[in-house]
Formats: sequence, C-alpha cells, structure tokens
Amino acid sequence: MRLQVQALCKNYRGGTHALRGVNLSLEAGVVGLLGPNGAGKSTLMRILATITQPTSGRVLWNGENIADKPEPLREALGYLPQDFGVYPNLNAIEFLEYLAAVKGIAAAAARKRIAELLDLVNLAAAAKRPLGGYSGGMRQRVGIAQALLNDPLLLIVDEPTAGLDPEERMRFRNLLSELSGERIVILSTHIVSDIEAVASSIAILGQGELLAHDAPEALLGRLAGCVWEVVVSSSELPKLRRDHLVSSTAHRSDGVHARVVSNSAPTPLARPLEPTLEDAYLDALSRQRNRDAAPEIFRPPPPPDVLATSHLKSHAGQEPRHSGTGTPVSGGPVA
Amino acid sequence: MNFTSVIYALARADFLERVRRYSFFLTMLFALFLGYGAATGRISIRMGDYRGVYTSAWIGALVALVTTAFVSLVGFYIVKGSVDRDRQTGVGQILAATPLSRPVYALGKFLSNLCVLTSVVAVLAVCALLMQGFTSEEAHFDSVALLAPFVLVAFPTMALTAALAVLFEMLPLLNGGVGNVLWFFVWSMGGLGLAEISGNPRLDPMGFLTVAKSMEAAAAKIIPGYQGGFALGIAPGHPAVIDTLRWHGVAWTSEMIGLRVAWFAAAFAIALLAAVFFDRFDPAKAPRFWLRRPKLVAQNAVMNSSAALPITPADEAVFGTGSKEPSLTAAQPREPHLTALAGAARRKGFGRLLIAEFGLAVQGRRWWWYAVALGLLVAQFLTPWGAARGPLLGTAWLWCVLLWSAMGSRESRCGTRGLLFSCSGILDRQVPACYLAGVAIAALSGAGIAVRLLHGGDTAGLLGFLAGVFFLPSLALALGAVSGTGKAFEAILTAWWYIGPINHTRGFDFTGAANGARTLRYAGMYVALTVALLAVAFVARSRQLRNN
Repeated sequence: MRLQVQALCKNYRGGTHALRGVNLSLEAGVVGLLGPNGAGKSTLMRILATITQPTSGRVLWNGENIADKPEPLREALGYLPQDFGVYPNLNAIEFLEYLAAVKGIAAAAARKRIAELLDLVNLAAAAKRPLGGYSGGMRQRVGIAQALLNDPLLLIVDEPTAGLDPEERMRFRNLLSELSGERIVILSTHIVSDIEAVASSIAILGQGELLAHDAPEALLGRLAGCVWEVVVSSSELPKLRRDHLVSSTAHRSDGVHARVVSNSAPTPLARPLEPTLEDAYLDALSRQRNRDAAPEIFRPPPPPDVLATSHLKSHAGQEPRHSGTGTPVSGGPVA
Repeated sequence: MNFTSVIYALARADFLERVRRYSFFLTMLFALFLGYGAATGRISIRMGDYRGVYTSAWIGALVALVTTAFVSLVGFYIVKGSVDRDRQTGVGQILAATPLSRPVYALGKFLSNLCVLTSVVAVLAVCALLMQGFTSEEAHFDSVALLAPFVLVAFPTMALTAALAVLFEMLPLLNGGVGNVLWFFVWSMGGLGLAEISGNPRLDPMGFLTVAKSMEAAAAKIIPGYQGGFALGIAPGHPAVIDTLRWHGVAWTSEMIGLRVAWFAAAFAIALLAAVFFDRFDPAKAPRFWLRRPKLVAQNAVMNSSAALPITPADEAVFGTGSKEPSLTAAQPREPHLTALAGAARRKGFGRLLIAEFGLAVQGRRWWWYAVALGLLVAQFLTPWGAARGPLLGTAWLWCVLLWSAMGSRESRCGTRGLLFSCSGILDRQVPACYLAGVAIAALSGAGIAVRLLHGGDTAGLLGFLAGVFFLPSLALALGAVSGTGKAFEAILTAWWYIGPINHTRGFDFTGAANGARTLRYAGMYVALTVALLAVAFVARSRQLRNN
C-alpha cells in the first residue's frame, strides 16, 4: 500500500498556481497536512481523492496512475471533503445506507457497520432524525461516518474537526490513532495540536509548495536551541516582530512574554524553550517568505520539498537558520 | 445610507454575481438566437398569410414581441433563484443580521432581476437595429418607431416577470419546482390567454393587443379581403410580403402609455407584496403543512440554537436534560472501535443501489403527494380510454416532475458531489441506477395505462408507452447533469406536456397517444432521443468526475 505524488502541479483559470511541483511518498500512518489558507491543501486532497485532475504531474496508488485508473483508489478511499452537503430529507441511517450501496457494501455488512459508526460518532440517538435538522457538528460527524463506511485503506479528511466540540475532537483524534496502523490517513487541519496528537509525519504546504515533510521529532529537532522566550514591553513588541519570527505572545503583569524563533538569543535575557510544532510550522512558512522576498540571484535553489525532507533528516540542528521574518542571521545569502 | 442606495447596492452585487456566471453567457446566446430567428424570418408576425414591409416600426414590433413572449417565459427561470442562492450560500444569514428591511431586500432582488432581463432586451434591440440594415426592405430608419416597442411593450413585461420571480421565491409553496411548473400556466393563461379571450387591453400585461390592433387596422386598409388575424410565432415557410403594407408603428396615446406604465407599477407593487411573505431567512417560519421535514437551509440556522428542535425523551434519557446535541458530556465516553469490513462484504450489488436510488427519489414528499399519485394511477383504470391514454397519463407523469428533476442535479443542489464522486462505480453503477429508478417511477405512475394496453393487445401502443417511460428520465438526467439544476427539466416538461399530451400534437406526445398510425415511428424517435440524452448525461457526469 503506497501513495506517491510526483511533481504535482495544479493551475486554475486566471493563473492561480494552487500546487507547484509537490512530491510526496506515503505509506501506512497518519500524515498531517499543515498550511495557511490558500496553501493548496484542499486542492491536493481533491486530486488525491480523484475528483480533480492535476495540470501536470501524477499520483500513483500502488504503482498505478490514478488519472488513468481511478477505480482501484476509489474502492480503497474514504473521503471527507472540507465542505459537503447531505440529503436533508434522509436521516443518518438512510443516508449512510445510500452511500453504502453506492460504495458497493453488502446489505448486512452495511447495516452492522452503520450501527457501529453511528455509535462511534455518537449519533446513535439522533440517527432517525432528518439530516436537514442537524447542526454543523452533527453533520460533520455524519461526514466522518461516511468516510469510514467502506473500511478505507486510504482515508483523506479535510478539516475533519471543524465544528466539533473539544471532547468530540479528542474522540476523533483517538479514532484516527486507532485506524492509522494499517492504512494511510491524510489529515488536513489548521489545528496543530490535532496533528501533533496523531500524525506520524507532517507535511507543510505554503503557496502550493511542499515546504517540509518529515516526522514530528525531526521537525522539532531542527529547531532545538532556536526557540526563546523574551519579555518585552508592549511598545517594544512591534520591533521584536519586525526583527524576529514571533510565534506567540502572552500578556502578563511583567510585560509581554513573546515566543521567538531565532538562531541566536534575540536579547541577553532571552530564555531558551523547547520547540513546538507550531514553531516549526511558522518557521517553514517564514523561510519561504524570506526566500521569495530575496532578489532572484540570491535565492536558494529549488525544489524546497526535496531540500526540506533531506536536510531535515540529515542535517537537523546543523543547517543555517535565520531569525524569522527579518534578515537571516548566519549562512543566509543577504547576511 | 438611504434605502435607494441600499437597493442599488443589493441589486448591483446580485447583478454582478449573475453576469459573471456561465449561465448569463447562455442567456445572451439565447437572446442572439431569438434575434437570429427574427432576422432570418423563422420567427415572424403574420397578418393572415402575409406580412408587411420590414420598416423600422415593423422590425421593432416583431423583435420586441418576440422578446416579450419568449424572454418572459424563459427569463423567469433564468432570474428565479437569487433568493435561494442567498439561502444556500449563507449570505442570507449575514443580510438578515443587518438592519436591511424586507421591502428593500425584495426591491433589490426585483431590480437585479429586471437588470438581467433588460440586458437581454437590450441585446435584442441591437439585433433589431442590425436587422433593418440586414433586410434592406426599407431605407428610412426611424429610431423612435423601432425602439418604442422595446420600451413600452417589452420593458414593462420584463418588470412583471422580474417581480413575479421574486414573489414566487418568497412564497414557500412556489419557491421550488412547483413554482417552476406553475409559471408556465401563469405565463400562458395570464400572459397570453387572458388578453386573447377578453380582447381587453387592460387585461393584456404583455401589450400584444395594442400592437396587434394597430397592425390589423393597417392591414385591413391594404390587404384585400383581410378578415383580421395576427400571429406571432415560428412557422415553416415565409409569408408573402405586401409591398404597400408599410406600418409605421403604434400611435401611442397617453392612455396606452398610461396602461403600460400601470403594468410597470403593478410589477413594483408585486415586488413589494413579495416582501410581505419574505421570511428574512428565518427557517422557523417555513410552513409545516408544506415541509414534511426541516429543509436543508434550516440546518445551519436552526440547530445552532438549543431551542431549534424539540428534545425528545430519548435524548434526555441518553444525554441528560438541557442538551440538544448528543455529546460526550452526558454520554459515557467509550474507546472508539470499528470492526474491520470483511472482503466478502464488498460486492457490487446493483439491485440494492437501484432500490436506494428509488428511495432517494421518492422520499421527502408529503402524504397528499403520494395520495394524488395513487389517485392518478387508479383513475387510469377507470377513466374512458380516450381521456386516460394521453391527457391523464401525461398528467400522471407531470405529477412526477419533481421526482425526476432532481436526477442528475441532486448532487450539485445538496452539495454531495465530493462525497459521491470520490466513490468507485459512479458511471457504471450509480448513474444507471439513478436513471433506472426514474424509469421505474415512470412505469409505476403509468402502470394503469400499461395494463390496459397489455390487456387490449395493443403492442404498438405499449411500445409507444415504453418509449415515453424510458425517454422522460433520460431527459431529466441529461438536463440535470448538464445544468446542475432541475429548473430546465421542470420548464421543458411542463411546456412539452401542454403541447403534446394535452393538445394532442403529433410527435410531441410522449405518451404515444396522439401519434396514431405513426406510433411506432415516433416511438423509435423517442428511443433515439433517449440514447442521445443518456450519452449526454454520461459525458457530462464523466467530465464532472474528472474535474469536480
């Protein structure tokens, strides 16, 4: 079971480049897809789910191009789109029975599976209410249930926890953890803690490019010794933001506690912190911004995905780092 | 901001949203098609077997009346739906949370509708200008005579169409497919029939009588033996041109102009009346007698409040009181567990999918819908053969129009494309199952006629019947898959039913009743059409599967 994404590009009308040469190779486990709005996450997922064609590049499912042969992947696929609707006059059982029939699941097996799934997503008691009356969170849980109907080998879930309360989110995370052993799960979300909890690898997308794809510990290891806590006054904060990558702030009685990603201590009193995935995510995006902002002759060579993956694995902690949105501190082209 | 600015802003945004859609481009193509039809003589005004010289006035009247007749019918379907779009996109919720008043919203939608229809009229007015140069029958160009019918005849009719579209959208009973079907009758009876029967210009919203009377008066002076007669339409062949019949337009009196202005004022009043029925996107105001269950649009608004649905005793038992939504707060947390699906459980059972598609198609109606369907079925056994074979069967099938119109478009309307199109076997299983479910509906709703044909040993009649059974769902599926809505099918089937089964027009009667000795030939034609339409549906769905 293997999913390979090779040099995938997607251009929309009007010249929007949603994906630019994305390469990925996925095997069993949960891959968390992180990226800001418009990074191309949903486009990538739609292509992987065979409902959008790439402009160039290809996706191989167990060695077969899904553009030529989508059916083997579709049979193994469970897909939860970011936005989806339901048939409002059907209840949850009827809706899932319909989709089970479309997915070719035998009647008896479907009935058992649906009962289990409704129990799992905590909708058993509301199962006979028409879907038209469901809340956003309940509808989302129906979406999760339908994605798992055919016991998929490839599960693609786009913002699955949107609209879920914290406990349902936790429950869904546990479910993904349990499922991940024997299948590929691609999870896209803005909630870094969700990914941190379940992902065995993390892919970061920015402006259609794959900026990093590695194990969480490798991403974190790369930032070891580069995250600091600085206490500044409110008036000093804008300058700090200009000069460094500030990943978070907290207002306290003694000033603003800023979390700074920087190669060296941003101030003499800066206190080193353990890096988090959020730091790694923001650092990756910041690197891309700096690269794009630099004059072309100084730009580091592409492709970023290959660089990100190989460097992160082999040079963790050794690679030249910069200090956030400002000028690279050492080893950078415009130091 | 005063209310005129708000109306303008609403109408402008709505208009821009529409003109940037592909459907607007198709609308303009339709306008050009009508212009082409008039310019080439395929659509003409006939005074008996003749027509006058193409003066500026004649051309203006011809194109303006073509616009009035056809664009008012089709334009309704084009402009209706903007309120529904606000509902579906959630923009309505945002608007409802502003100080926007009901009348201002209704007038904004009316103005937007009118702008869309007026742009069609403008295109046709340009066509009329070009037509005079193209035909070269009259050198003198009279811009007032050419454009006056557009302003005084077509424009008020467009205003009425725009306002009625808003009214239909605001009325819970008429904002869906029922309204689409009903519009055909409103248009044909209220728009055309009433004026023709009464002969009273005050009961002529389309302004046909004013133009017709003026033309008839001119014709009576010129054409020997002319007994009256004015026909606008598509007819084979070209009428003979009377060189001396040079009609220079309606002599518009203040009373005539006042009447047309009154129709415009009536349109304005209808738009304001629509505001009375506007629910301000509050789904709680949807009438219970019509909706069997909460509508899709209710889902976001209603359920976010804990008072939206009654808490059932079962809910309370499981989740505790005060909780609307099932949640782990009240229920005992359990470790998630799923039994793996055995390989044998995966099989491509087509029969189950067919039953599921059939269930999906027929569910969601109120009890009286099924009661009427059953009544129409029983009547097919009891009604005299002549009435049962064509009109009754046609009506029984028309009654199912809303079941079929969802075919091919349901996935777009309900937003389930992402869920469905990522499944395997959509083209080779789901689409055929959907189509055959439609065929089953046609066969069941016309079963009375089928039994009588079988009993009478009328093989040709039975084949004609079966051709209709297979044809109607294919038309629905193709139009639904291509357009993404059910409106096109609802409009076309209603018009087709009126022309065919009701008026016994040979070839157009999809029940096969009016086709006489040529029943088999026409059955063959419908079978060929069915195959072509199914091919269109499959190609459209295949393209959607590749680029959703």
